[in-house]
Amino acid sequence: MNSTQRGIRLIAGMAGLAFAATACGFNSSSDSSSNDSADDETPATEGASEDTEGTSGGGASGDITMLVPAYSDQTKGLWEGMIADFGKENGDVNVELQVESWDNINQVIQTKTQSGDAPDILNIDAYASYALDDLLYPVEEVVSPEVLEDFEPSFAENASLDGTMFGMPLIASARSLFYNKDLFEQAGIAEPPTTWDELYEDAKKISELGDGVVGYGMPLGSEEAQAETSIFVFGNGGSWGDSEEITADTPENVEAVEFMQKMIDDGLTEPDPGSQDRTPLLNVFKQGKIGMMVGLPPTVTEIEAEFPELNYGTAAIPTADGEPVTVGVADHLMAFKNDGDNQEAVTAFLDYFYSPEVYTKFVDAEGFLPTTQSGSEALADKESIQTFLELLPSAQFYPSTNPAWPNTQGAIQQQIGTIAQGADPAEVLAEIQGAAEGGF
Amino acid sequence: MGLANYRRVFENDGLPQVLINTAVWVAGVVFVTVVLSMALAQFLNKDFPGRRAIRLAILIPWAASVVMTTTVFYYMLEPNVGILNKFLVQINVLDETFGFTKRPVSAFAVAMAVGVFVSVPFTTYTILAGLGTIPDEILEAADVDGVNRWQRYTRIVLPQLRGTLAVAVIINIINVFNSLPILRIITGDLPGIKADTTTSLTFKLLTLYREPALAQALSVFNFGLVLVIIAIYMAVTRPMRED
Repeated sequence: MNSTQRGIRLIAGMAGLAFAATACGFNSSSDSSSNDSADDETPATEGASEDTEGTSGGGASGDITMLVPAYSDQTKGLWEGMIADFGKENGDVNVELQVESWDNINQVIQTKTQSGDAPDILNIDAYASYALDDLLYPVEEVVSPEVLEDFEPSFAENASLDGTMFGMPLIASARSLFYNKDLFEQAGIAEPPTTWDELYEDAKKISELGDGVVGYGMPLGSEEAQAETSIFVFGNGGSWGDSEEITADTPENVEAVEFMQKMIDDGLTEPDPGSQDRTPLLNVFKQGKIGMMVGLPPTVTEIEAEFPELNYGTAAIPTADGEPVTVGVADHLMAFKNDGDNQEAVTAFLDYFYSPEVYTKFVDAEGFLPTTQSGSEALADKESIQTFLELLPSAQFYPSTNPAWPNTQGAIQQQIGTIAQGADPAEVLAEIQGAAEGGF
Repeated sequence: MGLANYRRVFENDGLPQVLINTAVWVAGVVFVTVVLSMALAQFLNKDFPGRRAIRLAILIPWAASVVMTTTVFYYMLEPNVGILNKFLVQINVLDETFGFTKRPVSAFAVAMAVGVFVSVPFTTYTILAGLGTIPDEILEAADVDGVNRWQRYTRIVLPQLRGTLAVAVIINIINVFNSLPILRIITGDLPGIKADTTTSLTFKLLTLYREPALAQALSVFNFGLVLVIIAIYMAVTRPMRED
């Protein structure tokens, strides 16, 4: 009897909870609820921290924790080796490393921050929400001036919120145009295109080769449609907005998407680009069936491993006026304040990590692009990333500090492909704008 | 606040299409499944050499994971590497490979075909069990009375199967209505929501659109919708009615 009643109450409670969650909506309430729970936890956290304060003395000493995602199978080994080397010079600072997969890390960090157990140093893509919750040190407080000045200006700006830098750019990824030299030769094209007019002409010549050969590979499937679209939007001087405002349906953006649609309608892309994902399409490029396609630094390594006989080149991405531009993506390190007694230890480790030698070794091994000037110089001769390095200064970014960006990105991934089914570019962009403002 | 989420779901221009899709998806898959299964069950109810092997073979689509089965179909129809697509070109049915899974209408049709494929085994076995419960005496009596085969099936076998069919249809409605994997794999990467049912749209809202509040609103509506569909089915056919 008693247990039955409890069961009923439990079910009623859960149903109520479900409705309450629906009623509030996760978007708006999640911030405040996480703050609430953080407040609840504060007394316990303070108590715990007082205990540890007794053991940690002054100067650069103490234990710091670090949470990083695994970029590759070797990520863990790289960090462990680095921490061991750091320990030889700074015996008083003990770095505790935790490596998580990309699938898990967002969940882990959310749990940790909500329970007041944030790591001292975190490696992840987005820093803005932690900075807004006032959990992070400004970068200038945890690295030496030399390190601070060494960051590439475009990345430093992308890591700043209202002029204060909160993220330390760690690695970068950029895009460049991959083109099939054999197909170019067959079509009688000497140089890769730099402007949209040339892109259109070259794609046309290549697709006229027949036999299923595609002029330009345009993956607008949901996998990464936002990147492919941004290539054209940025290439026309457009953007998705900034940290304050999302601007998806500007005249520049509409013009860019109209050009994309023209290429699709004139048969210069693969069939049904609206549902073509990037990874499978890149495989078709690797098999030599696509004239041009935009790729990433790891694409170079993949081709080397899987299709070493492919005769291809990399070049700057063609834009409306020929001025190079690329889509940049950067991951960041960030330092959590926690109790405020970790600053010196964190600074010691970060200065060590960003010393040119240590940093270059890390970036080189992971095969990404450096975000510091000294790193770019040191890796300037690495052939596989040459084109990408040259494009880095002209990198433009997603407005990832804008809270409405995740929705906008989701809407781009979902909606932009409909231009291949005859949807009007201006209307599609208006829908995306609507999604940024709370529609779907 | 709460009603605002429901309003945002229902004000979307794409929703009528999604509701039509849902109706076509459930009615189409369940109807074709049941008709095919009735024929198959009738066939498997006969005694013939190798019946056991055929019965086992029909179980396979049910035993295999839906995700796996669907993925196999998806790749067979893939325009660049799909063997079924290549085969259709080789036998000159198509001039060049066709993106069956790349356009909303054809992809939705493919998804429905896969839906039927994975639903038939269970339904067939349910009906087969139902056929087993029909006493031979009744059928023999019918033969003696001189009914033809069609009359024997419609007048005698079908009425006896009423309860079995009701169970098969209701379970299929619920299963098909709630089925996500098939649509997720075949139409999940299509742009827009033209080839979505309310169930797959719920998933898209949660993952792609990152709108958990809207997904919750839609899933509450979804639950109500399946109840309504079953209520309509019960009211129209009254399968449990005792004559």
